[in-house]
Amino acid sequence: MQITGQLTLTVLMGLFLVIIAAWLARIEDWRSYTPLGSGGAAGESGYVSQEKPTGISRWLTTVDHKDIGMLYGAYGVLAFVVGGLMIMVMRVELLDPGMTLISNSFYNSLLTSHGITMLFLFGTPIIAAFANYLVPLLIGADDMAFPRINAIAFWLLPPGALLIWAGFFPLGDIIPAQTAWTLYTPLSTGAGGGNQANAGVDLMILGLHLTGVSATMGSINFIATIITERAEEVTWANLDIFSWTILTQSGLILFAFPLLGSALLMLLLDRNLGTSFFAIEAGGTMLWQHLFWFFGHPEVYILVLPPMGIVSYVLPRFAGRRLFGFKFVVYSTLAIGVLSFGVWAHHMFATGMDPRLRASFMAVSMAIAIPSAVKTFNWITTLWNGKVRLTTPMLFCVGFVSNFILGGVTGVFLASIPVDLVLHDTYYVVGHFHYVVMGAIAFAGFAGLYYWFPMFTGRMYQRRLGKIHFWTWMIGSNITFLAMIVLGYGGMPRRYATYLPKFATFHQLATLGALLMFVGGLVWTYNFVVSWLEGPRVQDGDPWNLRDDGMYTNEWQWFQDRQETAITDGGDEDVVADGGTEE
Amino acid sequence: MATKVFDRDTLLDLTVNFIPLFILLFFLVGYFVYNPFKLGSTERILQYMLLATPFVLLAILTYLSGKAIASTEKSSPVYMPGAATVDGAEPIEDEHEE
Amino acid sequence: MDEQPGLSDQYRMASPWPLFVALGIPIAELGILFDVFVVAVAGLLLFCGSLTGMIREAGYAETAWRPLAVFAVLLFAVGGVLAFTDVSLVTRGYAILTAGGILAAAGIGGELFVPKRDPV
Repeated sequence: MQITGQLTLTVLMGLFLVIIAAWLARIEDWRSYTPLGSGGAAGESGYVSQEKPTGISRWLTTVDHKDIGMLYGAYGVLAFVVGGLMIMVMRVELLDPGMTLISNSFYNSLLTSHGITMLFLFGTPIIAAFANYLVPLLIGADDMAFPRINAIAFWLLPPGALLIWAGFFPLGDIIPAQTAWTLYTPLSTGAGGGNQANAGVDLMILGLHLTGVSATMGSINFIATIITERAEEVTWANLDIFSWTILTQSGLILFAFPLLGSALLMLLLDRNLGTSFFAIEAGGTMLWQHLFWFFGHPEVYILVLPPMGIVSYVLPRFAGRRLFGFKFVVYSTLAIGVLSFGVWAHHMFATGMDPRLRASFMAVSMAIAIPSAVKTFNWITTLWNGKVRLTTPMLFCVGFVSNFILGGVTGVFLASIPVDLVLHDTYYVVGHFHYVVMGAIAFAGFAGLYYWFPMFTGRMYQRRLGKIHFWTWMIGSNITFLAMIVLGYGGMPRRYATYLPKFATFHQLATLGALLMFVGGLVWTYNFVVSWLEGPRVQDGDPWNLRDDGMYTNEWQWFQDRQETAITDGGDEDVVADGGTEE
Repeated sequence: MATKVFDRDTLLDLTVNFIPLFILLFFLVGYFVYNPFKLGSTERILQYMLLATPFVLLAILTYLSGKAIASTEKSSPVYMPGAATVDGAEPIEDEHEE
Repeated sequence: MDEQPGLSDQYRMASPWPLFVALGIPIAELGILFDVFVVAVAGLLLFCGSLTGMIREAGYAETAWRPLAVFAVLLFAVGGVLAFTDVSLVTRGYAILTAGGILAAAGIGGELFVPKRDPV
C-alpha cells in the first residue's frame, strides 16, 4: 500500500515536471537564445523585447513592473476580501456572549488567520502594488532594477497564501492554526496537550516564511531601484515623498524580515526535527517573544510608512498647495525607520522583564511618537487655507488623518508602562491597532486605489458610490473601534470567543459597525468592478485637474504620454513609435 | 565646519529629528542622575545601550540624509517633489517653511 | 520605457522562469520538511532548473550546463551535511543528494554530448 502511494506520487511529480518543461518549450524557443547583452537577436525568440504574449501567459510570464503591480493589487484586494469575510463571521459570533454560530476553536482559527491575512497577505502586498506600479514612474526609471526578481517575489505569494490557509481546506486531518498571529511559544511549538502539533501549523509557518522571502526580495529591488535608477532630474532634493517612504520601508524590511524567517525556521525545526531552541530549559519562553517583536515592531512601521507616503502625496493634490514642511516629513520618516528597531519590547511590558530594560524601551517608544505627530501636524497645516476639494481619495486621506490621530494617541498611552500594565491584552489594544491598521493603513490604501484608479484602468469610478463607501467605512470603523476601546477600559480581554454578559452591548455595537463596513465593502466592490468594465473613459492625462493648481506630477505625465501615443498609433498600449527596433 | 554643509534652513529642517534625539538624551542623562534601580549589572549596560544605539544611529542617518539633500539642492535645480520629469517643469524657488 | 527609447539596456517584458522559481521553493521546502522524498527532489529540480533558465536568459551563462553543475555541487554539499554528519537527517539528505545527482548528470551530459552552437 505504501509502495503504491510512493509510486503514484513519483509519477505525479514526474508528470508535473514534464508538463512544465513542455509548456516552457512551447513558449520559449530554447535554441534561439543569445545573451541579450549583444542586442538585436532577442527578436528571434518568441518575443520582441517590447512585446508581451497574450492571454493568461502574459500575466504568468510578465516582468513589467506595471503588470506586476496590478497582480500585487489583485492579490492584495482578494486577500482583503478573504480576511474581511473571516472577521465578519467572528463579529457575528460575538453578537451574543456564548458560543452559538461557530465553535470556539474555529473562532481561534479565524482569529489567527484574519491577523496574518490582513498583515502579510493584504497589507504588505497592497503597498508593493502601489510601489511597483508607481515608483519607477515617479523616479523616471524604465523598470525596476531587477525585473525578474520582482516577478519571483510576487509569485511566491500565492503559494504562501495557500499554505497559510491550508488548514481551512479539506485536506485529511490538517486543521487550521490557532496560535494567533504572534505564534507565541510554547503553544506554537506544539508542546503540551493541545492540538497545535498539527501539520496545519507547520504549513502556516512555511507560508509565512514564503511571504517573508517575497517581501525581502521586493525590498532589495526597491532599494536598488530608487538609489540607482533615478532619472537625471530626480535628485534626492526632489524625490517624491512616496518613494522616500518606500525606500525607508524597504530598509526596514531588509533588516526585519530575514530575522522573522530565521525565527520561523527555528520554530519549524523545534516542531519537526527535535531541536530545542524554544524549550523552556533552553531559550525559554521569552526568546521567541524577543525575536518575534524585533521583527514585529518594525513590521508595524513597514505597514504604516508607505500609506503615510500615499497620504502625504495625495492630500496636497486636493488641497491645492504643496505639502507643508516637505522635508520635515522626509526626515521624520527616516527617524521612524531607525527608532522602530529600538522599541520592540513595549509589546512585552507585562512579561516580567527587567524593569531597567523596560524603562529604556518606554523612553524610545515615547521618542518615536514625535516623528509621527510631526507628520500629522504637517497634513493639517497643508489643509490650512488650502483650496480643499473633497473628492473620494481626499475624503479617505482626511479620514486617515482623523483615525490615525485616534489610533496614535491611544498608542501613546500604551507606551507608558503603568498604563500598559492595566490595559495589556484587553480590547483597548485591539481598538488601538485597528484604528491604525484599518482606520489609517487601509484608508490610505483605498485613497490610493481611488486616486490612481483612472491610471490603472483608464476609466473613472462612480463618484457617488465612492463617497457612500467612504462614509460607511468612516462611521463604521469609528463605531467598531471606539466600542473596542471602551470594552478594553471595562476589562474585556482580547482573543476570546465568548465573554461575560456585561460586555454584550458594546460587542453588539462593534458588530453593528462591522456590518456597516461590510455594506460599504459591497458598494466598493460593485463600483470598482462595474466602473472597470464600463465606466467612462478618461479623456486626458489629468483627470484630477492638477494642472490648475500646478500640482501635476510625473506619473500622470507618463499616463498622458501613453494615452497620446496610443491615440496616434491606434494601438492598445506600450506602443513604440519607431516600430520597436530601438537599440 | 558644520555650517558649510548645513545652512540655517537645513538646520531648521533637521530640528524635527533633534526632538526625538533630545528625548533619548534626556532619558540617558536622567537615568544616569537618578536611577531607582540598583547599580552595576549587565542590565544596567543593556539599559544604556538600548537608549544609546538608536541615538547614535538616528544621529548618523539624520546627518547623512541632511547632507545628501542639502548638497544636491546646491548642485542641481530643485523641482517640485515628484514633478521633475513633467513636461516644461520649472525649478521652484527654494522657499523654506513659511 | 516608451517615452525614453534607448535609455535602458534592452530587456524583455516577459520571462517564463520567475513563476517556476517561485513554485520550486515551496515544493522543495514542503518535501524536505515533511520528508517526502519525491516532492523534495521534484521541488529542487524545478527550483534549480528554473534558476538556470533565468541565468541563461539573462546572459550570465552561455549554456545551461555549467550552472546546472554548480547547483549540483551546492546540493551535494548541503545533502552531504544532512546525510553523513551528526545532523543525521539521512532520508532528507539523500533526497537532496538525488536531486544533485540528476542535475550533475544533466550538466555533465549536456557539456559532453550536446553539440555547441555557433554564436549568433
